[in-house]
Amino acid sequence: MARVNNFIERSLVGALSFLKEGIFADEFAARHGFLQSLAPQIKAITTLVFIILVLFAKSIFFIACLYLQCLLLALLSKVRLGFFLKRTWIFMPLFALFIAVPAIFSVFTPGEPLLHFEVIGFTFIITRQGILGAGLFISRVITSVSYATLLSLTTKHFVLLRVLRVFKIPQVFVMVIGMCYRYIYLFMEVIENTYIAIKSRVGVRVRYAQGQHIVAWNIAQLWQRSYQLNEDVYKAMLSRGYSGEPVILNDFKTNKRDWFWLCYTLTLAIVAFYFTYWMR
Amino acid sequence: MSNSIFELKDVRFTYLGKFPALCGIDLIVSKGEKIAVVGANGSGKSTLLHLLDGLIFPDKGTIRAFGQELKEGVFNDESFSRDFRKKVGLVFQNPEVQLFCPTVKEDVVFGPLQLGMAKATIAKRLEGLIAVLGIKDLLDRSPHQLSIGEKRKVAIASTLIIDSDVLLLDEPTAGLDPLTTRHIVDLLIQEHKSGKTIIVSTHDLHIVEELADTVYVVSQEKQIVKSGKPQEILEDFQLLQAHNLIHIHRHTHDDTIHTHPHLHTEHH
Repeated sequence: MARVNNFIERSLVGALSFLKEGIFADEFAARHGFLQSLAPQIKAITTLVFIILVLFAKSIFFIACLYLQCLLLALLSKVRLGFFLKRTWIFMPLFALFIAVPAIFSVFTPGEPLLHFEVIGFTFIITRQGILGAGLFISRVITSVSYATLLSLTTKHFVLLRVLRVFKIPQVFVMVIGMCYRYIYLFMEVIENTYIAIKSRVGVRVRYAQGQHIVAWNIAQLWQRSYQLNEDVYKAMLSRGYSGEPVILNDFKTNKRDWFWLCYTLTLAIVAFYFTYWMR
Repeated sequence: MSNSIFELKDVRFTYLGKFPALCGIDLIVSKGEKIAVVGANGSGKSTLLHLLDGLIFPDKGTIRAFGQELKEGVFNDESFSRDFRKKVGLVFQNPEVQLFCPTVKEDVVFGPLQLGMAKATIAKRLEGLIAVLGIKDLLDRSPHQLSIGEKRKVAIASTLIIDSDVLLLDEPTAGLDPLTTRHIVDLLIQEHKSGKTIIVSTHDLHIVEELADTVYVVSQEKQIVKSGKPQEILEDFQLLQAHNLIHIHRHTHDDTIHTHPHLHTEHH
């Protein structure tokens, strides 16, 4: 493959391949694993319950248990552990750390000092309460994001959209997002093909001003195409009876395994809440 | 009682008020007819079908469908609109436009769901179409994962499931391989035999004989220049050549270059 030097080219190729592989491939969702076998609405509800549980938990040990359960579920759902950890750990610690680091110091969280050091005449004290608070925050973030990532990895994206209906999101909203999902791919192909067509005619190197001109022209073209498509799709909807209030297919079916999983999740949540709040 | 479904009188339509798309079309379509509208690219065939489907409305002239004049206002009447959409189905030229849902199954059942069809009826019709079109394996896929032939089949399925009396098809075989073309032509013949009125726009002359009892030729001037039986139209080489529907074929016989108009009317 030719070396990619150009910044725009690199960004374009990277963004397109991420979207195609990450969003549209549905690689893990197509596998026959535990979470894939559950009804999507049950899966979404139980994931939400786990996330709420994580957010309200006060014990790092309990959150760690929930995180281990998440990893176990990933394994049972045939999601490669290395891939899963990479997806959930690369960005999160970065953002969580930025937010959590100040909290470990006595300025923000006063308490029992564990460590102190001086930087250009200022004394910084790290407190036990600060470390515990930051640890709880980071573990909450990582565990809840892991559950959300697992849900999106093991469920086809269009099914996830339809699950929104379970949460009483208006049909028209679900439909519009569904159409966006459908046509983003089409436009990605248009961008890719246009880019190849330009490259085949102008060669590898493009002068800066010429490059700007080409990009601007392409943005305008894409806008025009999307506008035309918008009109045509609306006509196609009208032609098949659309009258402003869309009716969407809802054919989710549940089986015993779904109900068992829902019962387990709800029981765990009730027990956890009981021990965390009422037993105190 | 009149047997006509559509009556067009001096219909004119322009895009953006300045680009003429149809210039004085007179046409009567009777119940159970098979009609082909042939013409070169840009002759206004698609515009004509969109007018017949009540998606756009003429600037001048009138269109009557099932005895009622088609004007923008009449579609505000919900019962008329629903009744019309149940009676008339359009297969768009570009299947990308028609397949706007995230999955094939949602696309196919979109029409009947909007038209308030019972779920049991939808399921039954879907099953029948799956068998006829062989699209079972495509149902859970996203339209962007399909080939052009598969997209075209799904687009046709999404219109056929409504079981409308009139089928409007905009270049249903464009870009398809011979086998898929054959399959679609057979399906449309079957639909006509079951009593449906079929109006096909195409510049693919080799399907015209099978899909039409009457052929209308539309010129680059956006007017109907001739109509008649398929045989009569297909034998009029001068007319077809004048409207870019056949090409001059040049080949060699024993070192002699030979040219003649070339027309495909049969599948090889």
